[in-house]
Amino acid sequence: MFVVLTMLLALTGPASVQEGMAPPSAPALSDGPVNTGRLGAMIREAAPGAVVLVPAGVYREHLRIDKPLTLIAEPGAVIDGGGSGDIVEIAAPDVTFRGFVVCHTGIDLDRENAAIRVLAPRATIEGNTLEDILFGIDLREAPDSVVRGNRVGGKVLDIARRGDGLRLWRADRTLVEGNTVHDGRDAVLWYSTGITVRGNRSVRCRYGLHLMYSDEVTIEDNVLTENSVGIYLMYSRGVMVRRNQLVRNRGPSGYGLGLKETDRFTVEHNLIHGNRVGVYLDGSPFTDAQPGVFTRNTIALNDVGITFLPAVRGNRLSANNFIDNIEQVSIAGRGELKGNQFWDGDVGNFWTDYVGYDKDRDGVGDFVHESRTLFENLMDREPKLRLLLFSPTQQAIEFVGRAMPAIRPEPKFVDEVPLMRPVAVEVGAGGAPSAVGLGAASAGILGVGVFVLSVGLSGRLAAGLRGKSGRGGGA
Amino acid sequence: MTTITAGLSSGMRLRVPTLSANVLSVALRELREAVRSRWFLLYTLGFAALGLGVSYASSASAGGAGLSGFGRTTAGLVNLVLLVVPLMALTAGAGTIASDRERGMLVYLLSQPVSRLEVLLGKYVGLGAALLACICLGLGSCAGILAWKGDATRPLSMVWLAGLSFGLALGMLSVGMLASVLARKASVAVGTAIFLWLALVFVSDLALMAGTMALKLRIEELLAMALVNPLQVFKMWSLHAIDSSLDVLGPAGLYAVDEYGGRLHLIFGACLMAWVVAPLALAAAVFSRRAPV
Amino acid sequence: MITIERVSKRFGKTAAVDDVSLDIPAGDSVALWGTNGAGKTTLIRCVLGLLRFRGRVRVGGFDVRTRGKPARRLIGYVPQELGFYDDLGVAAAVRYFARLRAVDGVEVEKVLASVGLEGHGGKRIRELSGGMKQRLALGIALLGDPPVLVLDEVTASLDACGREAFIALLSGLAGSGKSLLFASHRVDEVTALARRVVLLEKGRVTGEVSPQDLGVRLGAQTVLHITLHDRVRGRAIDVLRARGFPARLNGVGVLVPVPAVQKVAPLRILAEERIDIEDFELLGASTHEEHRP
Repeated sequence: MFVVLTMLLALTGPASVQEGMAPPSAPALSDGPVNTGRLGAMIREAAPGAVVLVPAGVYREHLRIDKPLTLIAEPGAVIDGGGSGDIVEIAAPDVTFRGFVVCHTGIDLDRENAAIRVLAPRATIEGNTLEDILFGIDLREAPDSVVRGNRVGGKVLDIARRGDGLRLWRADRTLVEGNTVHDGRDAVLWYSTGITVRGNRSVRCRYGLHLMYSDEVTIEDNVLTENSVGIYLMYSRGVMVRRNQLVRNRGPSGYGLGLKETDRFTVEHNLIHGNRVGVYLDGSPFTDAQPGVFTRNTIALNDVGITFLPAVRGNRLSANNFIDNIEQVSIAGRGELKGNQFWDGDVGNFWTDYVGYDKDRDGVGDFVHESRTLFENLMDREPKLRLLLFSPTQQAIEFVGRAMPAIRPEPKFVDEVPLMRPVAVEVGAGGAPSAVGLGAASAGILGVGVFVLSVGLSGRLAAGLRGKSGRGGGA
Repeated sequence: MTTITAGLSSGMRLRVPTLSANVLSVALRELREAVRSRWFLLYTLGFAALGLGVSYASSASAGGAGLSGFGRTTAGLVNLVLLVVPLMALTAGAGTIASDRERGMLVYLLSQPVSRLEVLLGKYVGLGAALLACICLGLGSCAGILAWKGDATRPLSMVWLAGLSFGLALGMLSVGMLASVLARKASVAVGTAIFLWLALVFVSDLALMAGTMALKLRIEELLAMALVNPLQVFKMWSLHAIDSSLDVLGPAGLYAVDEYGGRLHLIFGACLMAWVVAPLALAAAVFSRRAPV
Repeated sequence: MITIERVSKRFGKTAAVDDVSLDIPAGDSVALWGTNGAGKTTLIRCVLGLLRFRGRVRVGGFDVRTRGKPARRLIGYVPQELGFYDDLGVAAAVRYFARLRAVDGVEVEKVLASVGLEGHGGKRIRELSGGMKQRLALGIALLGDPPVLVLDEVTASLDACGREAFIALLSGLAGSGKSLLFASHRVDEVTALARRVVLLEKGRVTGEVSPQDLGVRLGAQTVLHITLHDRVRGRAIDVLRARGFPARLNGVGVLVPVPAVQKVAPLRILAEERIDIEDFELLGASTHEEHRP
């Protein structure tokens, strides 16, 4: 069900997303009896380790939980910060905080006003709904915590004035699971080793997931759509990125998945679709200890499938589907991709722009897949030229580049064993397109059309030259 | 209709046709001629065939994956329109008046109680309608095959594309008719039209590329120069309308959206409108002074 | 009905029409007589408002330059050759021009019958003979019963038979109260249709005569067809030419154009040269170049 829902979310426009995630209106929260200080009193009165059931009602207070407690909200329990400061601060280990609606923090970015701030280990933050908040859930020095099933809706502010929907700071081994964040700044994970980020959703944030200096991390089954950047991994080691959907992340940088100086990573079974840049590689892998592995990903319909910064080397891409990205692979600026390998053993990738064929029917194209289009080459050097994309000039230039060896650019990369059929990818419904030899087919159809047109054109010219002999000027 | 009696023997009253009536008559005549002509048929078939090819290919690749986005379908169709529609409209416009003059038809037509403006506008409207029919047939068959293949392309985007194609066609038709009015011979007019087509489709883009690479044009300069070319205007407007963004066009597209935002529709509209109105007005001015033989 | 005041028209350096003034009252019939290049067609095009010229032309009181549409509404024009869409049906053409002339309730069959084209409405213009095309053009010119008919060498491209039929058709109109202005270089046409003959030479009016005087003035010519044995034909031509008769080979004999008063001279010459004459006959005015003034 979740997969279906998220697929729907991924494939429908922003309108429907908004519908599904509209923040509860402020007046509704203020209905009912207003309790001031009552929840604080309950916490003060509770013995350490107690389970506190919080009845429904609006609690207009700022809490500090300073002993191990389990706070469980009955449906309708709302903690309203009234638009100032932090709201809940957990200062003791082993606190469980479950099922609350927490809303209306302040908007002070310097003080980082947060809905829930955790300052001690082993917290469990679960099933809460956070609305109209600057920072959502902020874990500081809180290892072995669990953040699960929360809904975090940021204040709809200019991106520069937003806070992070979710933040981990030195929270090793924390599990972040099944949360939904929308309209926040980042979900950012700092200095946290061994964390797992699973099944979360992020919509309309800046960075859907942002890893900073965090090692041995697993990021799986997340759905990150319409953020500025889907996942950005920075300065981290040992990262597994799998089964995520990174869709329509089109901010100014607009990466589905970005990697900066990250080492020992595996990216597999992801659907990376409709982003400005599907995958952005900057200094990753950082060392040559282990190749960066990209396998069984579908990278489709992005403006650019993968962008490599010029010095990037040591990646191995195999069994991925590169489907109709406007530019499948680019190098930012001049450079070459020799240090990267587009196959593993006898398995290459599926390219919709592959023009070869498979005579012996072994599933592997009989010719290597070389990407060397002159226009892409120029575009990589001068991004402004993208303005001329989709114009016949582009094809003309590529045709000339193909026809005239003298100006044919060096191949950008070579896939020695290109796949004839797309690879099944685990994520998403119907991740396996059914195209066969498409490039050739469409080229053939186009050729016929151009032929028809040119016949028509020459006929016209002839009629024009013959002058009076017929009604050549009809259409 | 006005009735004239001046200088006539009593009882004789003659009506003079109005501008709109004559424009309509000439337009209908021109439309029928265009629809009957082989070249129009060939263009329509070629356009539809190419469009079907593009649609089929792109829906076969992406549609099967259940993926949608600014992929090959829209790009391919925009590209196709850029190639075919200007050629069609330019040659249609160029062929009309020059060849009529060459065959003496123009003298006969103008000896009737019609004004030259009526003839020019009538031909413009008639050929415009023919081009609209061609575009609708071409893109309509594309929409059909996309729907059949279950592609998620929204119907509205096809309507946008058809509408903007028509705008582009009208602009190019104006230019073609200007060439036709200026040229002494139909062959010269059609030749000029094809040359203009080459210039607009290829030469100007190549010049922009060279300028960007060699002169290090600034983004706003590049954008301004691109806006001079109606084909680029059409392309940017289509992407903007269908995709509601221009970021696929890289830094220049981003700059355009950031800088002008909602006004982009107005700007594109004004640019295209200028290409419709200016050449047609010039053609009307020249046509009213030129001898029809 | 037509007032031509000091009209001049230059093409580059040559004056096609040079300071021509002419008044054609209602019901009058004026022939413009002159060689090719004398300016007949140019003057007619000025009257139709097709050319820009100096001077003034008014038709039914309307200045053709400023009120071209109402002026032309008063004129039915028949060109030398009907130049129009070849593929158009005859009936469709009549309906089209009826619309352009704002003539309602046209009964196509009646119009066609009035010019002897009954039953040809279903044909295409391309399928008509030259004479039928001219009759169609006349039928169109008469749509809406205009008070002025302007004819430009309307029989020039017809054969003898078609010409006679056409002139017969026109002579019925000449007396019907319509004003006629027509260009011609055929005596029979002028005699049948004109009341006045205006002589044009190099764009200038050189005189005005009655149709009867035109024959005298030209020394009405006739053609002698002399049948000769083929052995002597070449020599006969040489002999006749040496004596100033522009003889030409024709079938079984020679054709000799002669002034009306010298019909016997060629026969006498041949007799003197002892060339056997097998037979001879007199032909009327002919289409031959020698007969043009």
